[in-house]
Amino acid sequence: MAESESEKIEIGEGAAIPSPEDKGLVSAWWIALLGTVALLIALPIKDPSTYGKVLTFIPDGILVTFEVTILSISLALVIGLLTGLGRISKNRYINLAASLYVEVVRGIPLLVQLFYIYFALGRFVRVPDIVAAVIAMAFCYGAYMGEVFRAGIKSIDFGQSEAALSQGFNQAQTMRYVILPQAWRTILPPVGNEFIALLKDTSLVSILAVADILRRGREYASESFNYFETYTMIALVYLLITLILSKLISNMEHRLSYYEKR
Amino acid sequence: MLKKAVLTMVTLAVLCGSAWAEKTIVFATDATWPPMEFVDGSKNIVGYSIDFLTAAGKEAGFTPVFKNTAWDGIFAGLSGGRYDAISSSVSITAERQKKMDFSEPYFTVHQALIVQKASKAASLADLKGKKVGGQIGTTGYFAIKGAEGVVAKSYDEIGLAMEDLNVGRLAAVVCDDPVAANYALIKYKDTLRIATVLKTDKPEYYGFAVKKGNKEVLDLLNKGIAAVKAKGIEKELKKKWIGQ
Repeated sequence: MAESESEKIEIGEGAAIPSPEDKGLVSAWWIALLGTVALLIALPIKDPSTYGKVLTFIPDGILVTFEVTILSISLALVIGLLTGLGRISKNRYINLAASLYVEVVRGIPLLVQLFYIYFALGRFVRVPDIVAAVIAMAFCYGAYMGEVFRAGIKSIDFGQSEAALSQGFNQAQTMRYVILPQAWRTILPPVGNEFIALLKDTSLVSILAVADILRRGREYASESFNYFETYTMIALVYLLITLILSKLISNMEHRLSYYEKR
Repeated sequence: MLKKAVLTMVTLAVLCGSAWAEKTIVFATDATWPPMEFVDGSKNIVGYSIDFLTAAGKEAGFTPVFKNTAWDGIFAGLSGGRYDAISSSVSITAERQKKMDFSEPYFTVHQALIVQKASKAASLADLKGKKVGGQIGTTGYFAIKGAEGVVAKSYDEIGLAMEDLNVGRLAAVVCDDPVAANYALIKYKDTLRIATVLKTDKPEYYGFAVKKGNKEVLDLLNKGIAAVKAKGIEKELKKKWIGQ
């Protein structure tokens, strides 16, 4: 247990998630979840013409948010794996290229990257709005993911590589059959956190006129002037989604640490 | 010597006094709407409505101060009391009149449809199934949303919609005609053109918006607007900014 603690990659994102062992009914997560659900049901019933209207206005936005999130995270995982491998590569040029990518991306705010890929590069490459949004999000999160992969791979004891190599595995086989399957355990939880962070950050793509949850809400508010009601509902919808996702990720993390518990 | 100093001080006091006596009105303006209100090369907020209010202030005795404010939320800021009025090419609509009071109209607008030079579209009806952009919460965007079969896309700023039209991600943009002219005839004159002006049953006017019941500011504004119109200043401003 002590050893596994040291190899845990800590990237805090989201609320305090109860470990599945915590059987107590009263936890911040439960209070938040029940409160959110209660408000999401009660407010539209109390005032269907405002709160209720918001809820009928945004469902297609929720789909777009999920679409952008899932496509971006898939692409970011691929970029992240390549970057992570590049960062630990012994080849100087590959290593330099991967490190340069991470440095550049981490140094530019996501909002600026979105504008850059959409409007600046849009002059040369004409991609539809959602594609531009996905490329920008994946480009940014690929770099974060690369660091997660690198840390995950590095957390595997060098003895594992030595053993594999001495058994006649080559470098690629060692990585594929020995290191990566073990590294997943440490990589997955922070990837889950990045997933939630990415989902929240997709609200930024609303500035690219992508009709996500936030954009739909703003459109409704700008017509109805019901700013308070609109943004209350928008915040609750995002909160509900991230609460559910963080619970799923926490359960997954629990399952992955199965061996450590014994 | 002493006499001179006292005299200077008295003069100063009188001058300051008269300056203080004049009411300052803070206007929120989304300065992304050329030629009505925009930020010039030296970061000043300029434009037709800025000049109009400065002239109106001289006539009616108030000093306008302009606060650059994002369009989305500009009305929330007014009801929240963050400024006294909005001068941001706000069209007077029945929905808006329920939430705020408007000055007398100071400008007549039409909604213009802007397309790429090569496009054959002559009206919104020709754009079924295509993406048409406008600025969020504007009458132009509402016109797109009201058109059957057109995919409406809302932008934070009209300039971003124009750029998307320029690179071909949109089939058309709808916005107020003076702004449309500024983009289609000056900024993007090689790529864009104004296809048509949308027909409406009622004329559309810009008004300055104030918080409901703020009669003091409203009266000052109306007094200034009337004077600017009567003295022919309006004509000069139209010539200067709109070119007509």
